Amino acid sequence: MSRLTGTNFPMRDARDRVVGSLPLVLNESVPNMAFAAAVRSPVPHALIRSIDAQPAREMPGVVAVLTGEDLAAHSAINPLYGGQRDDQPIVAIGKVRYAGEIVALVVAESPDIAAEAVAWVDVEYDELPFVVDPVEAMADGAPVIHDEWPDNDSGTWKLRHGDIETGWAMSDRIYEDTYVSPPASHVPMEPHVALATFDEAAGLDVLTASQAPYMVHKALTRIFDLPAEKVRVRTLNLGGAYGSKGGVKLEPLVAYAAWVTRRRVKMTLTRPEVFLTTGKHSAHVTIKTGVTNDGTIVARQVRATFNAGAYAASSPVGAGQAMTRAPGPYRIPHVWVDSTARYTNSVPTGPFRGAMTSQVCWAYESQLDDIAVDLGIDPVKLRAKNLLREGDVFATGEALHDVHFTELLDDVAHAIEWDEEPAPRSGTVVRGKGVALMIKSTLTPSRSEARLRLTTDGRLTLLSSSVEMGQGAASTLMQIAADATGIPTELIDAPFPDTAVTPFDMVTASSRTTFSMGVAVKDAAVNLRAQLDDLLVELLEVDRADLHHEGGAAGIKGTAPMIGYGEVLRRAELAELSGEGTFQSSEGMSTLDRETGQGRASVHWHEGAVGVEVEVDLETGRIDVLRCHGAAFAGSVVNPLRVKQQNEGNMIFGLGPALFEELTYDAGQVVNPNLSDYMIPSILDIPQRLTSSAVESDLEDADVHGVGEMTVPPLAPAIANAVFRATGARIKDLPMTPERVLRALEDTRAEEGTR
Amino acid sequence: MIEHSVELVVNERPTAVKVRTGDTLLHTLREELGLKSVRGTCGIGICGTCTVLVNGLPVSSCNALTVMHSRTSITTSEGLVHDGELDAVQRAFIEEGAYQCSYCIPAMVLTVRSLLDQQADLGPDSIREQLAGNLCRCGTYPQIMAAVESLIADRDGLGGNSGRRDRADT
Repeated sequence: MSRLTGTNFPMRDARDRVVGSLPLVLNESVPNMAFAAAVRSPVPHALIRSIDAQPAREMPGVVAVLTGEDLAAHSAINPLYGGQRDDQPIVAIGKVRYAGEIVALVVAESPDIAAEAVAWVDVEYDELPFVVDPVEAMADGAPVIHDEWPDNDSGTWKLRHGDIETGWAMSDRIYEDTYVSPPASHVPMEPHVALATFDEAAGLDVLTASQAPYMVHKALTRIFDLPAEKVRVRTLNLGGAYGSKGGVKLEPLVAYAAWVTRRRVKMTLTRPEVFLTTGKHSAHVTIKTGVTNDGTIVARQVRATFNAGAYAASSPVGAGQAMTRAPGPYRIPHVWVDSTARYTNSVPTGPFRGAMTSQVCWAYESQLDDIAVDLGIDPVKLRAKNLLREGDVFATGEALHDVHFTELLDDVAHAIEWDEEPAPRSGTVVRGKGVALMIKSTLTPSRSEARLRLTTDGRLTLLSSSVEMGQGAASTLMQIAADATGIPTELIDAPFPDTAVTPFDMVTASSRTTFSMGVAVKDAAVNLRAQLDDLLVELLEVDRADLHHEGGAAGIKGTAPMIGYGEVLRRAELAELSGEGTFQSSEGMSTLDRETGQGRASVHWHEGAVGVEVEVDLETGRIDVLRCHGAAFAGSVVNPLRVKQQNEGNMIFGLGPALFEELTYDAGQVVNPNLSDYMIPSILDIPQRLTSSAVESDLEDADVHGVGEMTVPPLAPAIANAVFRATGARIKDLPMTPERVLRALEDTRAEEGTR
Repeated sequence: MIEHSVELVVNERPTAVKVRTGDTLLHTLREELGLKSVRGTCGIGICGTCTVLVNGLPVSSCNALTVMHSRTSITTSEGLVHDGELDAVQRAFIEEGAYQCSYCIPAMVLTVRSLLDQQADLGPDSIREQLAGNLCRCGTYPQIMAAVESLIADRDGLGGNSGRRDRADT
């Protein structure tokens, strides 16, 4: 059998994908099902004075209305949950911390009745002062969101590498700027949806559109104080996620409703509710960089403040991940980073396709072009001079290996013909080019387990809890399994994640699956092969070294007859054979020195770059991205089409937050939670020329690197740098709307006028 | 609640449904008739994931009332499959890898089907214009464009094609 790795093996369910028969949680319906709808707070911060749910409870078809008071009264339930800090109540208890928080859950016989009953739950609030900006939330006297965290700290990390004062002393020039990223939303096309069943004997069964079945499993086990085997979490295909379906979302709600009502309860968010459930961390990043006159970066200090929103979710560790990514992919001897996430009265935030990286990359890559111009050095050459190379020590104190930043920079510079001046345009339209790069750790420490089960029919079942959300994980892992076992894909089945059946996986996120689960699958294949060899040695009475395997069969080297694996099992009188595999990384955030951030922050580092050419209309402020090329280090490519779709899909996704996406607050409320006022890129927004490269390693045993995010973070600064080159105007606040561009142009003209 | 009897022609089959005044086509097709390729998400007729063809033209089913569609012909992505054989548009999408999470894809397929059936001149700009009402967050647009362009190249050998049944066109 020829190797599948490196080929465009299509998704096995491609037909279901185009016809529309793809299994989704949204489609699931079970007998005796009830439907949940949420009553949400319209105010950002308040004590709940009273809830009158009686009128709703009396409505025909309403099964129950569940409030925080009811929740707190159940001594058997731990009402708080969270990824890293248990700070979020299933339903608000006594206090609301953001506009959109759930204060009561209606369960009814139909979605229509549930939605109607929501309006009949009367809630009175005693409003409190609120804060939605993370920098304001740090100030003395700021409203306190959680009493347990009086300074609104939702995760604070520091990195101290070299000696920053020495760095400033070495610097000929020092630059300091602040870059702002606003709140934004993931907008998966499939909304969050979950369906729970509770049965005294069998326990809890939750079917959910989640990236993290085992995180959900752990949370539910804790909330309901159930043994692990009494909680089952299953997923199907996800209609997009991009980080929004990681961690724990609707599952405690539907589980609680099912636990109380003993009904099967389904909940599907409306689009406005998706906007109010999770989003991107807004951030203020102040960056101070010292360079020598020859363009060597010698010192960098970053102070990054992220908006955790009302609940911690991923922020406590996320702030640390941001810290490791904030110095950028450069060799800098003296680095100081303070990274913090702060609670505010806004939508809880989480990883946003490249978690925490876009916000810091926006700062360091924008500032670097200002520095290049000030020093009179070409921005590409300035980067080339400072980029991390093989064996260099990164700001975390770890030496990096299999480093390809220079190749990525060359690749994007070449693709956009950096050395050619853009074709001149007449009148009020100007053109410019820009590049940017990023470095990103993956999620570690982490663990992935795989099980390969061979049965007497010769079929192999690939059991893994990696979630298929459009990235092609299911098929990519099947390619890896087929190559590792020699069993053709026609004979391989891969059921959906199910904690009662499929082994542990931390989460499908952070571009970790092809690598981590890929390693686990290969490990399982080795294990399975060893067991097969044991059987064959006995059955055929040969030495292990004389065995030959091919296409799901084995025999003696140099002789014709081959025995199918199913037959091997039958002769050995075994019903099945199971190979277990594990990936476990030990390095990571939790191992870093808490005072200095020194250690090994990641099992390996992701590398990405983007180059763009833009046109700026000086009269309207509109930016038109003419061409866009992204490059990511992929280690070794398993499926070229899917790598291309990730690299290019990333940039299409990234165009939104770069150019127009912003979740806007007024009086503490999100004012644009819909796809009319919050627009995402359409086919009209994509550049005429959109291309990408995947850089591979020369090493025989190179890690496979995931590529789900790498060309998101550099896109916005690459565009800003192109605008800067075309116009001299520097935009420091995202998104780069026409209005912002016009203001920046005006500011630039005013500055030039005063010179 | 007032109930209405409505005669629809769904995927070429006359179909009688009892609906409430406020029922949308999305609700009727998905929840009453079990056509799961029709998927809502924005709820306000913006994103195009709930697109169906009404008399051959794309319509957002989330803000179309079923009672107003008596005796109209409605096509969903399931209806493009005949005797187990995929439509040329569906085949082209598979061929070009024009699918990722695929939540939006059946609607995209219908919009492309209509575009090919209704429009004579299709340059890249007009294709993009016609597809602007179908959003894809994964960013599958380049493969979708490739699929449309390959279909046009094939169609132009055949001339006009007004029938949704005509799929022997490649």
